[in-house]
This record gives sequence, structure tokens and C-alpha cells, in this order.
Amino acid sequence: MIREALRLPVAPAAAAHPPRRVRALLGSEGVAGLLLLLILAALAVFAPLLAPYDPDAFSGRPLERPGAAHRLGTNDVGQDILSELIYGARISLTVAAGAAAGTVALAVLVGGAAGYAGGWLDLVLMRLVDMILALPRLPLLILVNALLGAGLGTMILTIALLSWPPAARIIRAQVQSVRQRGYVRMARGFGGGPLYLFARHILPQIAPLIVFGLVTAAGHAVALEAGLAFLGLGDPTAKSWGLMMRHALNLPGLLLTDRWLWWLLPPGVCVTLLVLALALIGIGLESRLDTRLKQR
Amino acid sequence: MKRRALGFLISLWAVLTLNFLLPRLLPGDPLAALLDPSSSAYVFNSATRASLAEYYGLDRPLVQQYADYLAGTLRGDLGQSIRLNRPVGELLRAHLPWTLLLTLTALSAASLLGVLGGAEAAWRRGSATDKALVVSSVIASNAPVFFTGMILLIVFGARLDWLPLAGGRTAFARYGTPWEAARDYAAHLALPAVTLTLALVGSKFLLVRNSMIGVLGEDYMLVARAKGLSTGRLKRHHALRNALIPFVHHLAAHAGFALTGALFIETLFNYPGMGRLVFESVVARDYPVIQGVFVVVSALVLGANLLADWLSYRLDPRRREAL
Repeated sequence: MIREALRLPVAPAAAAHPPRRVRALLGSEGVAGLLLLLILAALAVFAPLLAPYDPDAFSGRPLERPGAAHRLGTNDVGQDILSELIYGARISLTVAAGAAAGTVALAVLVGGAAGYAGGWLDLVLMRLVDMILALPRLPLLILVNALLGAGLGTMILTIALLSWPPAARIIRAQVQSVRQRGYVRMARGFGGGPLYLFARHILPQIAPLIVFGLVTAAGHAVALEAGLAFLGLGDPTAKSWGLMMRHALNLPGLLLTDRWLWWLLPPGVCVTLLVLALALIGIGLESRLDTRLKQR
Repeated sequence: MKRRALGFLISLWAVLTLNFLLPRLLPGDPLAALLDPSSSAYVFNSATRASLAEYYGLDRPLVQQYADYLAGTLRGDLGQSIRLNRPVGELLRAHLPWTLLLTLTALSAASLLGVLGGAEAAWRRGSATDKALVVSSVIASNAPVFFTGMILLIVFGARLDWLPLAGGRTAFARYGTPWEAARDYAAHLALPAVTLTLALVGSKFLLVRNSMIGVLGEDYMLVARAKGLSTGRLKRHHALRNALIPFVHHLAAHAGFALTGALFIETLFNYPGMGRLVFESVVARDYPVIQGVFVVVSALVLGANLLADWLSYRLDPRRREAL
């Protein structure tokens, strides 16, 4: 299935038009997701320019309604909600990028080694994969983060440490099949070392899987971070969207006024949009990785 | 099947061992902090402190702690809650039924909807209904549960005031008839269960739809159609039955997701299950309770996986050799 995916229908004319090429790679779902992701990333990058206030400054009276000075009002200590929201993108995207990079790095390392070396190393590593896969991830994350105390780095690290096995399994299978192909065996016969073979022949073949792994891992990490922050396990100094929702819900009687409209709803919508953007890119990539679905 | 059962036991052992090792080996020594007067997490109640010291036994050698821990856990002794000063086992027994009620209700509803919807969508693939269903299930399964829950809570709980806002039953209610009791429980269950169902149904729908589309392209479907079988028989006997095998497997993997989703939803709706217990324990740094929840939820997830393996073994004769 992967072999077909790599023969992507990139016509010579399309290569001259990068947008069309992106579309061929991602499909229309993927392009929509990518645009959404770029918008949210722009929020994070240009936060100091876009945000009207410092998110930590007490720029208004507590619990102001939306008005000219504060487009989304202020929270219970008088901080501008819109600015919090814009800066929140930085936290979510940091977690997403960090956890995704860690997850995929571990997956390539373990999956690559197991698939390439085979034998007892493969056996041991795959039993490890089975073992971690069998462990329920969220309860374990809750336990570890509760014990370690809240911190953004801890969260990224623990998410990555518990998320790599599924990707490692897929990468191992692909490495195993690539390793058996004629040209790879020939290159080995000519004396290519494992690192050379890996970089020259195997890496290009698992590149689509790596991209797919990055996107899915990032999506899961965003949802996990928001969820853990929501449960009170987030870094209290890193005001993420999940933490904003938790603060909002902590206000007694929040649901009985219309305050939730500008305090609770926007961070919820932002988390959902980010997760959705990553999921759409994943779906776009997946349907091109898996041609079985396309044949019908 | 024997291999699967063995795998289950090994995983269970790994969970129990992690539960023993993590609190002891993680940096900062969270357990010792509970007994250290100079730490911010120091437990002031001397009786609780004594029971903690007895349970964790940090002054004994590690191997003996481990042996005592395993023996205690297998007897059902999960330690004492710091916050409530009650045995953790007792707390879990009080909260577990609520979580199971919520999870199983949502899983059944989502499975039913997912299978029926997925089969129909596959049969009419490419139609406007199919496309609309695919898009909405992608959105529903990707929205964080606490967000979907929030919206439902606000709309149906606070704005329309149709359903209760929080809790598992009306406080201090006295029910005249079992019917009244059932109504009260169901009204409190409705919003959390709908939230969880929405979170679960999308992936089930997509899975059944995709595996059904795969089955519809098989040669035996062409043969069955050539034999002149009715559409209903084709759908149910030939297509859906074969498309359901991956679904059973997915169901087990999803049981874990459902349970953990329930943890968030319970927090939001103040539903008296394990999630609420975790939430309150995290705030109070009540480690024995968090550990107890970890063990019980893990055991449930592992059990569900084993059950699904057994079911798919029963459903698909080809797998009998593979297992």
C-alpha cells in the first residue's frame, strides 16, 4: 500500500504549481486542515502584535463584559480574555510540536532498529511495544503528572513517552519490507553500512509515515494537554486553553449568566479547531497512504 | 487464546509494578513528602500519617515493600485516602458503578448507532447523506469531550433547563416507586451519556463504513448478488457480518478510550464516578486514591481487550489458528 502511495500522481505541470502539488499530497480535507493550522500558528507567532494587552497584566476590572476596550471581556482577576486566548495558542502548539517530535523520534528509533535488525532485538522491542500499548494511557498520564507536579516540560515528555508505540509498529513493518527489496539488498551487498542504508534508502520510504505520525501525535497531544490542564494537572504558569476553561468553570454560577459565551466558549472552540485541523491533515494524508480506500 | 490470557496477566503485572515503582522512583520523592514535616505536602493528621507509613512502608527494604504491596493489592487493600481517611477500596467500590453505568450506556448507544449508520452510509457511499455523516462524525469524534459536554450542559442544562446540571441523582431524594428512582437516575445520566456517545460514535461509524465498503468489493458479494439474493439479505448476512469483525476488535480498544473519556465527562458534570474522584484527589494530592483509580481502570481496560480477543476468536474461524 505504501509503494503505491509513493508513486504520487505528481504530473510535471503540477510540480510547477506548488499549491496544486500540496493538494495532490493532502487532498481537499488536508488543505482545509493545513490552512486552519496556519491561521492558528500565525496567532501563536504574532501573538505580541495581535494581542491588545499583556495576558498577565491586570488590564481591566474583574469580569468585565465584552466592550470596546476588551473585545472578549476580562476574567475574574481582570485580565483580557482575548489576549489570553491569543497567547494560549503558543502553549498548545508548543505541546503539540514537542510531543509530536518526541513521539516520532522514539518511534523511528525503536521501529527502525527493530525492523532493520530483526532477530532478538526485534522480539524484545516489539514485546515492549505490546506492553506499553496495553497500558491505559490517560490514567498513567494522570498518575505520573500528579506525582511529578505540574510542568509543561514534564507533560510533553510524558505524552511522548507513552505515545510512540503505535507509530513504531507501523514504521517497523515498513522498514522490514523495504529492507527486503532488491535495491536495498544490492546496496548492502556493495558494502553500505546500516546508517548509510537507513538514511539513503529506508528514510525516504518511511517519510510519509513520519509525516503522518507527526500530525496524528500532535493532534492527540493537543487534546491530552487540554484535558490534563482541565483536570488541574497543567502547568499553572502556562495559561493554555485548557487552563482557561478550568478557570472559567471554577467561577461559581458561570453557566447561569451569559459569561460562558466569551470566557468558556472561545478556548473550547480554539482547542477543537486545532485538533480538527490536525485530524483533517491526517485524514488527507491517510487516504493517500492507503490506496485501498481510493480504489472504490 | 492461552497466549492472550498470558499476555493479559503480564500486562496486569506490569500495571501493578508500575504503580509500585513510579511513586517511589520519580524525582522529588512525592511519597516521602507526605511524611516529611518540612514539606508542603505534609499530612497533619497523625492517624492518617501512621496508616500511610504502614501502607507504603518506606522504611523497609524495597523488595519487602514490593512483596507486601503485591500481597496487599491482591487482597484488595489499596491503602487509605489521605483526604477522606477512608480505605481506597471502599471509595472505589462506591464510585465504580457510576463510571460503569455511564461508560456502558454510551458504548452500547454508540455501537448501535455506529453500526447501523456505518452500514447504511457504505451502502449509499458517495451520496449526500453519506458525505454529511462522514463530515459530522469526523467533527464529533475530534472535538474534546469536555468541550462537547460543556455545550450540551449549557444548552440543555442551563438554558433550556430540561435536565439536571450536575450529580448522579437528586440529593436526599426519597423515591416512592422504583419507577421514580429510575427516572431520576436516567435524567442525571442523560447529558453525560449523550456527550460520551457523541465522542465515541464517530470512529465506530467510520470503521464500520470503511470495512463494509471493503467487504462490498469482495468477490463473494458479487456471487451473492448474482444468485439473486434480496438486498436486505445481502446487507445483513453477507456484508455486515463480515464487516463486523474489525469492529469487535476496535470496540475493545475503544473501551479504554470510553473509560478515560468518562473521567473527563464526570468531572464536568459532577457525576459521582471515578473521574470525579480523580479530580478531587489531584487537588488534594491524595496519591493512594489516584493510584487506586489507575490500577482499577487499567485492569478494566485490559479485561476489555481480553474479552474482545475472545469474541473475535468466536466470530471469525480464521483467527482461531492465528491466536
